Amino acid sequence: MRNIRRVIRITIFLVLAVWLHYVLPQRDVARVISTEVIRTDFTSFNRLFYAQADTGGAEQPTRDLRLINTERVNTYLFGLIRAGRETMVYRNEDTGWIYPPYFKFDSSDLQAEAAGVISTAEPHDWVVITHYGWRIRWLTIYPNAVSISPLPEGAGPEYRPFPWVNIVIYAAMLGAVFFARAMWRQFRERTIDPLTDRVEHKVDEVNAGLAERRSRIGRWLDSWKSKPRK
Amino acid sequence: MRFLQLIVLGFVALTVIYWLVSIYSRSVRREKLENSWAEEAPEGADEAMRDAYIAEGMAKYENGLRKKLILLIYVIPPVVTAAIILAIN
Repeated sequence: MRNIRRVIRITIFLVLAVWLHYVLPQRDVARVISTEVIRTDFTSFNRLFYAQADTGGAEQPTRDLRLINTERVNTYLFGLIRAGRETMVYRNEDTGWIYPPYFKFDSSDLQAEAAGVISTAEPHDWVVITHYGWRIRWLTIYPNAVSISPLPEGAGPEYRPFPWVNIVIYAAMLGAVFFARAMWRQFRERTIDPLTDRVEHKVDEVNAGLAERRSRIGRWLDSWKSKPRK
Repeated sequence: MRFLQLIVLGFVALTVIYWLVSIYSRSVRREKLENSWAEEAPEGADEAMRDAYIAEGMAKYENGLRKKLILLIYVIPPVVTAAIILAIN
């Protein structure tokens, strides 16, 4: 029982962690090589990893997808280690109003910005690309670029963006968890415990009554037993 | 259409949260009043005086600032949303 509970707990934690890794913003240092638009047909599975059509448009089974082709500084261990270069392709889609809550409606503008910072000649212009999502090549899934911002003055590809937003979100989530726990404890202490106490008290009373009655019946039955002979 | 969905779902979710938090806050206040009565009840006080004391404290709470602050639950998420929209777009 204890093991089952542990397994369930670990599973929930892992799913939550993976989901957060997918949905929270990450910032890459990258240089844009080109931008393009490809026609895309989704399968029912990889459809999960794409947003919907542009916010003002209609949803169709197939549509064009904006892509930003880049070379980025490789990141390992949630961005703690940054070394080497790799090719990275970002999609550029409106996230719309609901999920994930980036409220991004300016994909076209972002595509123009990306085109504006294309850098193929040395020395390269590096930019910070904020994105969420994963690149999974065998499923044809791209991370969604959310914004492109210039590096601070004088910084090169070794620049390390600091994840302020993520820290704020984690702190807020932690606070919410503690608050919910306090609420639950208060509810248990003030509402459930008195109720169970009352029920237990009632059960005790009923049991005592039963015992009393049984002893009365027992006495009556005893009265039919033969009296000890004198 | 999606926008309406957000408004409606958000309002429902925030209402549930508001409801839970206000129950919690009221419960905490009542517990505090009970504790303070347990500590400094006047000599020879009976159950009726205790009930009156708690009722008075709860009435003060119902009209107080703290209860109105819970309404921030309806204010902060839309403000944060607006800030995100401004920052992203």
